[in-house]
Amino acid sequence: MIDFGRVQKELQECSRDMAASGIKVSPKSDNLARLVGTIPGPIGTPYEGGTFQIDISLPDGYPFEPPKMQFATKVWHPNISSQSGAICLDILKDQWSPALTLKTALLSVQALLSAPEPDDPQDAVVAQQYIRENQTFLATARYWTESFAKASSLGVEEKVQRLVEMGFAEAHVRSALEAVGGDENLALEKLCSG
Amino acid sequence: MEDGMSSDEDYYSDRDSLDGLENEDSEFHCTPPKGPTTKVITKESLLAAQREDLRRVMDLLSLREHHARTLLIYYRWDVERLFAVLVEKGKDFLFDQAGVTVVEHQGLESPLGSTITCDICMDDVPSGETTREDCGHCFCNNCWTEHFMVKINEGQSRRIRCMAHKCNAICDEAVVRNLVSKRHPDMAEKFERFLLESYIEDNKRVKWCPSTPHCGNAIRIEDDEFCEVECSCGMQFCFSCLSEAHSPCSCLMWELWAKKCRDESETVNWITAHTKPCPKCHKPVEKNGGCNLVSCICGQAFCWLCGGATGRDHTWSSISGHSCGRYKAEREKKSERAKRDHYRYMHYYNRYRAHTDSFKQESKLKEIIQVRVSITEERDSRLRDFSWVNNGLLRLFRSRRVLSYSYPFAFYMFGDELFNDEMTKEEREIKQHLFEDQQQQLEGNVEKLSKFLEEPFDQYSEDKVMEIRMQVINLSVITDTLCQKVYECIENDLLGSLQYGNHNIAPYKSKGIEKASELTACWKANDSDKYPPSDCGASELDRPSGSGSSDESGCSSRKRARKDSPGGGLFDLNLPAEVIDRN
Ligand SMILES: [Zn+2]
Ligand SMILES: [Zn+2]
Ligand SMILES: [Zn+2]
Ligand SMILES: [Zn+2]
Ligand SMILES: [Zn+2]
Ligand SMILES: [Zn+2]
Ligand SMILES: [Zn+2]
Repeated sequence: MIDFGRVQKELQECSRDMAASGIKVSPKSDNLARLVGTIPGPIGTPYEGGTFQIDISLPDGYPFEPPKMQFATKVWHPNISSQSGAICLDILKDQWSPALTLKTALLSVQALLSAPEPDDPQDAVVAQQYIRENQTFLATARYWTESFAKASSLGVEEKVQRLVEMGFAEAHVRSALEAVGGDENLALEKLCSG
Repeated sequence: MEDGMSSDEDYYSDRDSLDGLENEDSEFHCTPPKGPTTKVITKESLLAAQREDLRRVMDLLSLREHHARTLLIYYRWDVERLFAVLVEKGKDFLFDQAGVTVVEHQGLESPLGSTITCDICMDDVPSGETTREDCGHCFCNNCWTEHFMVKINEGQSRRIRCMAHKCNAICDEAVVRNLVSKRHPDMAEKFERFLLESYIEDNKRVKWCPSTPHCGNAIRIEDDEFCEVECSCGMQFCFSCLSEAHSPCSCLMWELWAKKCRDESETVNWITAHTKPCPKCHKPVEKNGGCNLVSCICGQAFCWLCGGATGRDHTWSSISGHSCGRYKAEREKKSERAKRDHYRYMHYYNRYRAHTDSFKQESKLKEIIQVRVSITEERDSRLRDFSWVNNGLLRLFRSRRVLSYSYPFAFYMFGDELFNDEMTKEEREIKQHLFEDQQQQLEGNVEKLSKFLEEPFDQYSEDKVMEIRMQVINLSVITDTLCQKVYECIENDLLGSLQYGNHNIAPYKSKGIEKASELTACWKANDSDKYPPSDCGASELDRPSGSGSSDESGCSSRKRARKDSPGGGLFDLNLPAEVIDRN
């Protein structure tokens, strides 16, 4: 079973120094097994100014087994899948230690944004571009940050969350919002009409 | 190469003891004082088997057992390599790599009654409920236990790392055992077994016996991994690839051959080369003669080349009303090739099978000969010793085995599959002649030996029996020498000049496949004070019965193995498993 006592303490500790770290972790619903982490794009990188959301799900063995983390915000990075948001990071796999926390893990993810490792890629296309055409890579990464990780796009996430809380499936909510150009009410109508 | 063989030769030069060779009793005289170096490791002797290695490391480095084990697991039980690293890179490097920390942390112990915050569960825990590992990291017992459980379940029992981030230290097995057994005794048992079995799983000198159902034993060899061994359960196998003993075939050749025999691809090839389905009734139709117009028994005529239905009239170059343009098509060549390959395979396969089948016949001879011996013994005669018949039979079985496997060897040695780029056509022909010459000599003598052994000597006069005896003894020596020569020819003349890195052949053993002897545990498993300087299994045969070993498990398993060993020591059936199965 997940050690929820520890997760509670982690959340408290995290919100206590949020101002300093910029890292936020909040539960997705009542169930502490599903959470959302938020990290600011590191300064001096193409991710600067963006706010990145990371879906977190805790396995039964947490903290003795690593948390599962995946970018919910689309990001252009050699070690993060541009399709699924999957992250290639050792501490989320065999280098996980129970002494690490969600906050330290998110800090490591943030560090990964600053220092890509193209030799161990998650997204081969991005990794190739990073190595061969670094200027193009930087431009694309910046563009993706603008399009998906800025305040405007964050509004979309909140709309999604509200609609999901009303009981609609996330995938349906997203496609409905997309179809009506982001208008929450129109999307709701569309969802209700099936 | 093996000690037993040279003593074989010595005996043959001495006529009196010749007959006694391989008598049940003589086994004891023949055993070199050192005893066989290949050992059977049973569940009971598994602990004893690793004691020696553990002891060496513990003594040299003044370590506790769990540290020595951690080192050995990391270095895959290769003590020599471990020592080499020690000499080259030093103790610190050695320990660091393997995750061994031997620093004492007395100064860090917290006073009793105080509490410690466990960094994992983030609770305050009384210091009495925490454990500090050798690396200095301290967490609460509950968290340690959970961590151990997850790791044991993941199958990582042998190297459970400390919970602290980036700490490479391996947890003390005593701590794991102690904490896990308190809450999950079954898991503690599992952990224990995994730990013990590391000696088999992580050790290139030790392998599980491949018998099915599994006999529970493992076999440890001394130096060359390319050898053939017999487990105390009777299973004979190639130590390198774990399939049936297959020398003088290399492991790769045997793998290819077994696969070839298994899939009926050859038969399928033959059928496609020789028959085609009728377009009307779909029965396979064989082609007769060179004509490409064939007709099925159902009356339908069709074109052999394209398989299409046609009328019945044809000329040499065309079938009336039909043109497929395939008269000189590729297919002809392809099927010719398949046919040729198939014939080649069948040539070798038939001979390979002939020898395994002969063995089947000859193993019946064993009983017949026992009857003949007892009849002859009844007669008032000066013939007293019949070990020559039994020894002759053993020699016959061993030579059959060599002959049988020499055919798949030749199939690959002189075929296109493996060495096409390494020999010119001429080289290959020369080598093939050389080999076939040896093979034929062996074959001829084996058949002669077989013939003499089949003689109903119980009905013969004494002089005639003496003559047969001489023939059998001579032929036994000859076939043994010829077998040896076949192996030498393969090693020196055939493979020697090639880049044959992956074609190692287990050496020829005149006395048959080496039976691994049981490792005798001469001390109690938990009696950690008295380690003998070296493995004492070798002295097993010399020890008067009922004395010595205080370890009951060691003795009982040895007895069990003796009783169960097939053939009661008289026959070792060094033949393919499939043949033995069929009997
Ligand atoms: Zn704890
Ligand atoms: Zn540690
Ligand atoms: Zn066995
Ligand atoms: Zn093999
Ligand atoms: Zn037909
Ligand atoms: Zn014809
Ligand atoms: Zn045709």
